Amino acid sequence: MASHRIESDLGHIPYAVPHIIHPPSTFINQEGSAFDFGELEEAIVLQTVNDTKQPLYTEKPAATLEMFPSWPMRFHHTPRGSSKSGEESTDSGSAVHALSSRGEGSRLELESPVGRKASSSSDHHQMIDQMHHLQIPQQLEVASASNSPRTGISQPQLARPTSEKRRGAGSNSERMLDAKTLRRLAQNREAAKKSRLRKKAYVQQLESSRIRLSQLEQDLQRARSQGFFMGGGGGAGGNISSGAAIFDMEYARWLEDDHKHMTEIRTALQAHLSDGDLRVILDGYITHYDEIFRLKGVAAKSDVFHLITGMWTTPAERCFLWMGGFRPSELVKMLTAQLDPLTEQQVMGIYNLQRSTEQAEGALSQGLEQLQQSLTDTIASGSVNDSMHHMAVALGKLTNLEGFVRQADNLRQQTLHQLHRVLTVRQAARCFLVIGEYYGRLRALSSLWASRPRETFIGDDILCQATTDLQMVQQSSQNHFSNF
Amino acid sequence: MHYHAESYGNYNASTVRQNAAVDPLERVVRLASGSAVVIFSLSTCCMCHAVKRLFCGMGVNPTVYELDLDPRGKELERALMRLLGDGSAVPVVFIGGKLVGAMDRVMASHINGTLVPLLKEAGALWL
Repeated sequence: MASHRIESDLGHIPYAVPHIIHPPSTFINQEGSAFDFGELEEAIVLQTVNDTKQPLYTEKPAATLEMFPSWPMRFHHTPRGSSKSGEESTDSGSAVHALSSRGEGSRLELESPVGRKASSSSDHHQMIDQMHHLQIPQQLEVASASNSPRTGISQPQLARPTSEKRRGAGSNSERMLDAKTLRRLAQNREAAKKSRLRKKAYVQQLESSRIRLSQLEQDLQRARSQGFFMGGGGGAGGNISSGAAIFDMEYARWLEDDHKHMTEIRTALQAHLSDGDLRVILDGYITHYDEIFRLKGVAAKSDVFHLITGMWTTPAERCFLWMGGFRPSELVKMLTAQLDPLTEQQVMGIYNLQRSTEQAEGALSQGLEQLQQSLTDTIASGSVNDSMHHMAVALGKLTNLEGFVRQADNLRQQTLHQLHRVLTVRQAARCFLVIGEYYGRLRALSSLWASRPRETFIGDDILCQATTDLQMVQQSSQNHFSNF
Repeated sequence: MHYHAESYGNYNASTVRQNAAVDPLERVVRLASGSAVVIFSLSTCCMCHAVKRLFCGMGVNPTVYELDLDPRGKELERALMRLLGDGSAVPVVFIGGKLVGAMDRVMASHINGTLVPLLKEAGALWL
């Protein structure tokens, strides 16, 4: 019975190698030990070869169709020896199906040409080799549960040495080998299943991350446009609020753009471009400035203190800070020396600009002073009983700060626009270049100051010593003079 | 700068007739036309203080209406808010009866040099 089965199994071994290797009866025995496809197959093949020299494809081909219903059509084309015995045992069927469900596509590549080859030859040895070609990649495929196709061509090297080994091992009981096979199959199934689940989980994770990323981007966009702080405790976390952090990032990007604009203007001036071209470049630069004022407006809504304390600027700039930015009148004063030659009308224009900015600054400063005074009064006054009420009032007054920063930025923006109006295109281009360079140098000063060499103790001592020396020298020289 | 509280002082027959005008916007316009420079303000507002200081610094003598001190100030405030469209109702500046706007417009017009001619035209500024 068993031998008959083996024989009939052998009938279709070349065409459906891994699946047919296991005679159905042995599946029932689950004595597990390390399974070796090759050993089993070799044993079966040897037995067949020893027992019968019949061509392997005398069996009914139709049975194959029934035995492996899940197999793709290609297999049906190749004539094969088959037996219904495999089908009769559900175990084998399931094992076979399980195997066939893994890596079908690529396996096809291997097996059908080989199958075709086998069908055309009656050489047993050739078939044996081909079996090995198939079984080794099959093993590897099943073990890794991947669908990457492997060529059978590289396998012969692998197959031959192992087949030599295996020829000697054929004496093991078929039952045990089959049990090994069964166990190995089960393990492979599990591995493949786990792999599939892992892949599925990973893909799901990717998808959810993608969705989260797009949501975060949307939130960020909304936060930027509205100046709100989305998610998480209202700026309490860390030293810097979300609105401030966002503004700092945008300001950094603005500075990079500023550098590009300045380079563009510089090149345009040196290249002596036409006024029309220069005007276009200049308008771009003005828009660039408008952009930072717009961003500051947004930031003022979410974190006015960040702007008004100048934490977004460098230390040297902070030294000259007025209401969250540069002082327009100071800028105009600085420019008047740099802007020669000017027509008389332009001189008047610049002079008026300086006066009006000074007046406007004065008015805003006085308004802010009154706000501070009012705030001080509110915080200072109030008993323990209505302290909460006073705090609420104080909070209300603080909201006015945003208005002052906005007006100050408005003043700065208007000043720049007026400069653009009063000056010619070329003069304005030079003017804006000067402004950009000025603030660039101020920022550089901050960096230099921060990185200056500091020999604190020694330095101070030397300084003290030097001062006293100097005094002594002065005194002695005075004495000398008095002698004269 | 002189402060006006409609219900106190300036109480004569003509003002009674004028006070009968119920529509707040009409009242705003009427008040605005009454002087060369008119500022609608709130006594507690710091920005209003700033705009007042601006005009005084330029040597202008504006007429100031403190809406929180006016019994019908609330409706005037609402009318002004509708007029301006957004933000706070005060400060609002009228020069020569014409609306200049809130603080940002006043600032902008001063910087771009249109405020002084406007003041001169309205007779609020000489020289």
